[in-house]
Amino acid sequence: MRYIKLIGLFLKANILVELEYRANFIAHSLVSLGWVSITIIGTTVFFTQTDTIGGWTFYETLVISGLFTLMGGLIQMLLQPNIQKIIEMVRVGTMDFVLTKPVNSQFMASMRYAQLFSLVDVIAGGVIIAFALGRIGFSPDGLTLLLFAVMLLMAVVIVYSIWMVMATCSFWFVKVGNLTELFNSVYDTGRFPVSTYQGVLRIVLTLVIPIAFITTFPAQAILGKLEPGMFVGALVMGAVMFAFSAWFWRYAIGRYSSASS
Amino acid sequence: MPFAFFISMAYQIEVTHLSKHYQVHEKEPGLMGSLRSFVARKYRAVKAVDDVSFNIGQGEMVGFLGPNGAGKTTTLKVLAGLLYPTSGKATVLGFTPNKRENAYLKQFTLVMGQKQQLMWDLPAQETFLVNQAIYEIPRAQYDATIKELDDLLELGPIMKKQVRKLSLGERMKCELAAALLHRPRVLFLDEPTIGLDVTMQARIREFIAEYNRRYGATVMLTSHYMADVTALCDRIIVIDKGRLFYDGNFRALIERVAPYKIIKLQLAQPTTAEALAQFGQVESCNGLTAVLHVPRATATESAARLLSQVKVEDVTFEEPPVEDIIREVFAGIGKDEARGAR
Repeated sequence: MRYIKLIGLFLKANILVELEYRANFIAHSLVSLGWVSITIIGTTVFFTQTDTIGGWTFYETLVISGLFTLMGGLIQMLLQPNIQKIIEMVRVGTMDFVLTKPVNSQFMASMRYAQLFSLVDVIAGGVIIAFALGRIGFSPDGLTLLLFAVMLLMAVVIVYSIWMVMATCSFWFVKVGNLTELFNSVYDTGRFPVSTYQGVLRIVLTLVIPIAFITTFPAQAILGKLEPGMFVGALVMGAVMFAFSAWFWRYAIGRYSSASS
Repeated sequence: MPFAFFISMAYQIEVTHLSKHYQVHEKEPGLMGSLRSFVARKYRAVKAVDDVSFNIGQGEMVGFLGPNGAGKTTTLKVLAGLLYPTSGKATVLGFTPNKRENAYLKQFTLVMGQKQQLMWDLPAQETFLVNQAIYEIPRAQYDATIKELDDLLELGPIMKKQVRKLSLGERMKCELAAALLHRPRVLFLDEPTIGLDVTMQARIREFIAEYNRRYGATVMLTSHYMADVTALCDRIIVIDKGRLFYDGNFRALIERVAPYKIIKLQLAQPTTAEALAQFGQVESCNGLTAVLHVPRATATESAARLLSQVKVEDVTFEEPPVEDIIREVFAGIGKDEARGAR
C-alpha cells in the first residue's frame, strides 16, 4: 500500500538526517536520562510523606511515571517535529506543495518527520514500567496485555488529535508556539494518577483535555484495574477526537489562504 | 480576442469572470499602531483578482505578466486548487481545481521559484523517491523519466548531493525535476528563474521549452525576467491590480505600445539634436553619439534619408527593450482603462 511505502521512505529519510548529527544524539540521551531521574526522584519524594497518592501505591505510581516518560517520548519523536514543520510551512507558504499532492494532506503533513533519538525516552519509559511491574510482582496475562495495547494506542490517537488541532490553528494564527507550550504544562499533570486531582480539575483532565486517557487509564489496564467504562470511554474518546482533528484539518484547508509570495 | 477561433476546441484552462478578494488587516505605523491593531483590527478588502477571464488551449505556453501584487500568483493558486474563487469560475482539464480531486492533482504541477519542496538536509533523489510513491509512478517509468531529466538538466551528480550544499541554480534544476517526475500535462510556474544568473536562466528556459515540445504540456509562467517570457511565450496575459489588461500576441502588444524602433548613431561630425529632429524623436544627442526613436512604419525610410544627409560612422537598429515596453504598458493602464480597453 502506498501509505505504508511512504512511511517507510519518511523513516529512511529521517534516519539519514539524524545520522548526520551524532553529537545531537549523545546530548539528547543525556538530557533524557536527566529528565527520567527527575521524574523518578519527584515521585519518590512524594512517597516519603505518604504511602498512597489518590489510592495508588509507590510502584503503581511509578508505572504512571513510566507511561508519562514513554508518551512524552512519543510526542517528542512523532508529533513535535511535524507540528513545528506544519507551523513553519504555513508561515513560509510551502504548505502549498503538500496541498497540491494527490495524497491525504493530513497524513502528509503529520507523518513526515520524526525525531528518532527520542526513542531513548520511549525505551526508558518502557524500562520504568517493566521495573515497577516487577517490583509489584505482577505478571500480566495475554488479555491484560491486549487491553493495555489498545489503551496505549488510544492514548496515542488522543494525543495525536490534540496536537493536530493545535497545529491546525496555525492556519489562522500562524504562530501557535504558545499553544504547544500550554499543552506541555497541562501534560505535566499526567505524572500522577488523575485521582490525585480533585473536583473540577479531575473532570477537566478526563473530559476536556483528556490527560487521564494518556497515562492513568493505560496504567490501570496494565495493572489489571481497568474498568469497562474506561475502556469504552477510551475507544469513544479516541474516535471522536480523531474524527474532530480530521474534520478541523479539512475545514482549515478550505479556509486556507496561503501566505502570499 | 485572438483565440476566439478555437472556441469549439476544448480548452485545457478556462477562467471566466474569476475574482478573488482577501480580507487583510491594516496596521498603523509605530508601537501605538501595533497595539491598536492587536486589540481591534481593521480589515480592508483587497481585490487580488478582479473579474478575469481567459482560455488556454493544449500545449500553449502563456506568459503571465504584471507588477508585484498584480494578482498573478493568486490566479495560479486558484488554478492549482489552493484558493477558492470569491466569484467566477475556473476549470482545468475539466476539473474544478479547488475540489482537489486526486485525478486532477496527478496531472499538473506547481513550481514556485521562491519556495522549495526538496528536503533540505537530504539529497534531492530522496525527495524524488517520495514523489514517486505519492504519484504512484511505476519503477520503469520512473527510471526512464529520471534518465530523460538527467539528459536535459544534467542531474546526475547534483541529485546525490545534499540539497543544502547545492547552488541556487542546481537546486532549481532539482526542484523542476521533482515537480515533473509524474509528467504533468499542465505546468504552473511561478517565477521559476528568480535569483538565477543569466546562463542558468537560459538553461531552465530551454528545458521548459523542450518539456513543452516533448509532451505537449500546457505551461503558464510568471516571471520578472522579460527574457523568460519573450523566449518562451508567443502569447502573454498582462494583469495589473487584479484586472486583465492585455491578452494576446506578444508582438502585437509591442506594436501597440512601442510603435517605434531605436536607431543608435555614431556620427562623423558633431551634430545638434535640432538637426536630427527631422528624422525622428531625439532621445539623446551629445555631439558624436545620438539615439533616435523612429516610427516603426517609416523606420527604413527615415533611416535611408538620415544616412544620405548626415555623415555617420556607425548605425545600429534596435527593438525597444521589453522592460521599457512593459513599463509603458503599466503607465498606460490608467488611460486605457478609461477607454474600456482589455
